[in-house]
Amino acid sequence: MIYLDSAATAFQKPPSVRQAVWRAMETMSSPGRGAYPSAMYAADTLLECRMALCRLFGVIEPEAVIFTSNATHGLNIAIRSCVRPGDRVVISGYEHNAVTRPLHAIGAKVEVAAAPLFDRPAQLRAFREKLKGANAAVCTHVSNVFGFVLPIEDVAALCRAEGVPLIVDASQSAGILPIDFQGLGAAFAAMPGHKSLLGPQGTGVLLCREPPEALLYGGTGSNSLDPNMPDFLPDRLEAGTHNVPGIAGLLASVRWLLQRGIRNIRSHEEMLMQSFYADIAENPRLKIFRAGDPSAQTGLLSLQIAGMDGEDAAHRLAEQGIAVRAGLHCAPLAHRSAGTLDRGTVRFSFSPFNTQKEAHRAAAILMDMAR
Amino acid sequence: MYLLLCRSLTYAQRSGKLLERKGITATVTKAPRETAKNGCSYCLRIPDRHREKALVLLESAGLAPERIFRLDEGRITEVRP
Repeated sequence: MIYLDSAATAFQKPPSVRQAVWRAMETMSSPGRGAYPSAMYAADTLLECRMALCRLFGVIEPEAVIFTSNATHGLNIAIRSCVRPGDRVVISGYEHNAVTRPLHAIGAKVEVAAAPLFDRPAQLRAFREKLKGANAAVCTHVSNVFGFVLPIEDVAALCRAEGVPLIVDASQSAGILPIDFQGLGAAFAAMPGHKSLLGPQGTGVLLCREPPEALLYGGTGSNSLDPNMPDFLPDRLEAGTHNVPGIAGLLASVRWLLQRGIRNIRSHEEMLMQSFYADIAENPRLKIFRAGDPSAQTGLLSLQIAGMDGEDAAHRLAEQGIAVRAGLHCAPLAHRSAGTLDRGTVRFSFSPFNTQKEAHRAAAILMDMAR
Repeated sequence: MYLLLCRSLTYAQRSGKLLERKGITATVTKAPRETAKNGCSYCLRIPDRHREKALVLLESAGLAPERIFRLDEGRITEVRP
């Protein structure tokens, strides 16, 4: 199989991740409950992971690095911490349902800072026009449908200037693009552990700058007599037993990323994307959503095939060993913004473990299908 | 033996690592029930002779303990910093 659905989850991971998960299952019990060796080994592994994530994302205090079960979990915490019913919240036009659904459930007044696909200056202007007086802002760093890299540093600067807390959805950027959380001054940044951070599923990270509201209430191994959740991090946001094998795997993957270098990974994925695109660009049946400026897109590309349903195309590709995702990608807002809501798209997303040979092979199969 | 009560396990771990780096043996353990007024907590056990140096190091790192106790032949008494 040629796996080109890394935007959904990283299927191929560094070998050290699997080894770390296995070792954790053999040697670690639950942190924050006892103080015997297997519990402390688990606790030390969690702390090491928090500290590695501090290095990766420019966070000062490891307590501000929270383990979640995925980015959706983190976004729900962040949104419920910043938004009350009726609050005016500005979002980009490329947000995932993990952002729009919690906002809808809370009853926020959502305003979309609409901008054309891949137009970063227009995106910034749209935020500038709407931010004044907003209660909060949410902005994805990279669109999960189109790979569009939004100008998050500039959006963050606008939010700081207006005193509007910003929540960053880093689901598609963590592990690919540099993120300086301290420099951004955002209230929160949420990300999954299992996409470009290359960790196991069931892991996620929430970086906190603002005091958060607890989402889950339960045992933390601390302050047990107090009926309230602890008012300090990470305990306030980490009720229940941790996913210790998952976090051990995440530690291994973050160390791999730190050693390999985010910029090298980005260069590799850009090369793959360019190889793939160059092979298919001239096909008149393909409508390809490609940024004119390479810095405005990651190694993720969506397209439509004239006269062919996207899910059917994905099925045919799977039959030939190419794994992709089709449809709305849980992001109808992004499709509405790009004008693809009626048909959705077929999405190809590359990882550090794909090769140029695979990119060419996938392009050849697609070209054959779209003759 | 002194018990330095920490506000969380993460603080206890960070405190322990800091002290170990400075040559002070520090063991993270569950805090005795009578020391943790809010219930479960973690503490650092350090030898008597290292108390002063440990407190200075922890204070300067922003990791000052919540409370300090002396453990002497099973008897626990709170001491002021």
